[in-house]
Amino acid sequence: MRQLLTPSGDLVGEAPFGLDLCVRLYRAMVVARSYDRKCVALQKQGRLATYAPFEGQEAAQIGSAAALEPDDWMVATYRDAAAMWAQGYPMELLVAGRTGDERGGSPPDHVNVLPPSITVGGHMVHAVGLAWAERLQGSSRIAITYFGDGATSEGDFHEALNFAGVYGVGCVFFCQNNGWAISMPRSAQTASETIAQKAIAYGMPGVQVDGNDLFAVYEVTRQAVERARAGEGPTLIEAVTYRLGPHTTSDDPGRYRDAGEVEEWRRRDPLERVRIFLSERGRWDPEWQAEVEEKAAREVERAVELAESLPPPAPGDVFGGMFESPPRHLREQQATLELYRAAGEG
Amino acid sequence: MSTEMRADPGLYDYALRPPRLPDPPKPENDHLPIDIEVRVGMYEMQQLIRQTEKRAHDLFLQNLVKGTTHLSLGMEAIATGFARAMRPDDYTFATYRGHAHTIARGADIKKVLAELLGRETGLLKGKGGSMHLTDVEHGMMGSYAIIGAHLCIANGAAWSSQMRGTGQVTVCFFGDGTTNIGAFHEAVNFAALWKLPVVFVCENNLYMEYTPIDLVTPVEHPAADRASAYGLEAVLIDGNDADEVYVTAEEAISRARRGEGPTLVEAVTYRQGGHSRADPGKYRPSEELQAWLDKDPIKLYHQRLLRLGVPESRLTEIAQDVARRVDEATEFAKASPRPGPEHLLTDVWADGGSEWRN
Ligand SMILES: Cc1ncc(C[n+]2csc(CCOP(=O)(O)OP(=O)(O)O)c2C)c(N)n1
Ligand SMILES: Cc1ncc(C[n+]2csc(CCOP(=O)(O)OP(=O)(O)O)c2C)c(N)n1
Ligand SMILES: [Mg+2]
Repeated sequence: MRQLLTPSGDLVGEAPFGLDLCVRLYRAMVVARSYDRKCVALQKQGRLATYAPFEGQEAAQIGSAAALEPDDWMVATYRDAAAMWAQGYPMELLVAGRTGDERGGSPPDHVNVLPPSITVGGHMVHAVGLAWAERLQGSSRIAITYFGDGATSEGDFHEALNFAGVYGVGCVFFCQNNGWAISMPRSAQTASETIAQKAIAYGMPGVQVDGNDLFAVYEVTRQAVERARAGEGPTLIEAVTYRLGPHTTSDDPGRYRDAGEVEEWRRRDPLERVRIFLSERGRWDPEWQAEVEEKAAREVERAVELAESLPPPAPGDVFGGMFESPPRHLREQQATLELYRAAGEG
Repeated sequence: MSTEMRADPGLYDYALRPPRLPDPPKPENDHLPIDIEVRVGMYEMQQLIRQTEKRAHDLFLQNLVKGTTHLSLGMEAIATGFARAMRPDDYTFATYRGHAHTIARGADIKKVLAELLGRETGLLKGKGGSMHLTDVEHGMMGSYAIIGAHLCIANGAAWSSQMRGTGQVTVCFFGDGTTNIGAFHEAVNFAALWKLPVVFVCENNLYMEYTPIDLVTPVEHPAADRASAYGLEAVLIDGNDADEVYVTAEEAISRARRGEGPTLVEAVTYRQGGHSRADPGKYRPSEELQAWLDKDPIKLYHQRLLRLGVPESRLTEIAQDVARRVDEATEFAKASPRPGPEHLLTDVWADGGSEWRN
């Protein structure tokens, strides 16, 4: 397993980036954590629908997204808000999406990030399609897709990786193996020793990386992205990480996993090791941390305000955003709704 | 989008592909420890499958059969070797290319041909036809036309024997193209995890319909190269050598019976005809086809038995006896009545009825 920065903050290889970028990515991880905790709090206040927290997976998401060009495609899941935000998805739209507002699923045109997939595995096929289309059009844009350990047992995983392997499609498959698929542990998910080794079945390289190590995640993703951009085909990355929180806000992990396991992973916190690294190089002190956290909180607060100040969607909006020209049965339902509304108001 | 699509030139051009030639036959397999009477039995079975299928083809050409048919000509050794290693109560699951597996499990060829001709005396009373041959009495749990779907059903059968503790093993056959379907992935992953008593057998005949498998598969061996993804061993065998198939089957089946879980076998072979009745198979280089015709499993097995001292006259007798049985079965099928309208709504549900609407 590739590792560059140990949990105690020791660099055991060559840093893939300079101190300035390191500081920037550390800040991003702080923002991500702030966003995540805020969303959990908002859900408890009834201001958000179900939320899937990613605490513990910040390095995997921020480190990998940092290896992309700003216009590369990203196709991710309900647990990948940090990666999506890092790739330009407006934070207020991420929040809006979680309030149940469909407008949260329509990022601005210049943002090449698809709205999050709830269907486990289904979106990986879309990422392959996007990357393939880019190649057919002679563009060097690539796609990255995020998914969990559980998704690797889905048929869509197989079809997506197979297709990408056959046609040498420029797609990076980024698996966050966070140990669990809801209550199912990784050991009950597949009989293969690692997820990375599944790459063999698709004739592509597979890499296992310490997913809580910002440096190593950035390095291996960068290599995979460069390979894809050069037309050399896809890569499967297994980032070994851990979901510190519940599967979603409606889950109680205490019913299926050991508190000891969670404690052990807390000691491998992805932010802490970068903090130590920066501090040893004179780029971190408690006042600076307080300032970074405060800025992060303000940024998140602003996004929440924006999301909550959107005028509420109209009932008929539910028909939008699906079809360019809606099929007849939907047009009929829409007409019926309008009749009811007219009657109710009139 | 206005940008013009630019596909890779040559990507889809079959004509530019080099022929895929078979590995040479293995005379050393003469020495595999298999009883000579078992071998003679496997010769007879391959003859029975070959001659029945050739007859089926003729009957199709005479327009006596509606629909289509998918033959296993050239692939008989796989069905034969596996069926021989199975216990009578083991289960077989096959694809639409299922005649060979049905016959190998011991189905009466009279009922097989009658089924193809749509007669009341057929395995399914003439209502299933070529693509759906089933003979539960002989453990043949069906032929399935949806690529990949039956691997999941086979898992269910294997799981049921695991739960019931019967020691029954399920053997599930499918093609090379099937390995690229999501259901293959889900089924093999699940079986490996739960150590189900199932053997997955990929009959790699190098083509899925009209597409050479290597055009759509990023690894050389569609099944064997996938095994490690499920924590399984890669098993790659010569599918045109009944003895090699038989010993592989024995090992995989006893492993499953001991509760040690599934095996994924890739048996490399070739279909001598087209994909289905309508397909002349012209997309294949003639040099390739010829090389595989030279590696005909029955021809090679015939030579092996002669080397092992079986008299030529005995083999001729077997072939002639099979020919007689196939003629008889043909007459039987042709003379059988078509199912009457009273059969239209029967055999739809397990209780034999069709009253599901009530
Ligand atoms: C196709 C499909 N099946 C089932 C579900 C229900 N479901 C939601 S999340 C989840 C677990 C996914 O686990 P994993 O891929 O490891 O991702 P993680 O949630 O751990 O990030 C399941 C089964 C779903 N959303 N989609
Ligand atoms: C799900 C599904 N997709 C497509 C088809 C159409 N189809 C019928 S046979 C076939 C090729 C299968 O090839 P392979 O698995 O190699 O088996 P073979 O026919 O060579 O024995 C296809 C694509 C189908 N029957 N089911
Ligand atoms: Mg998971």
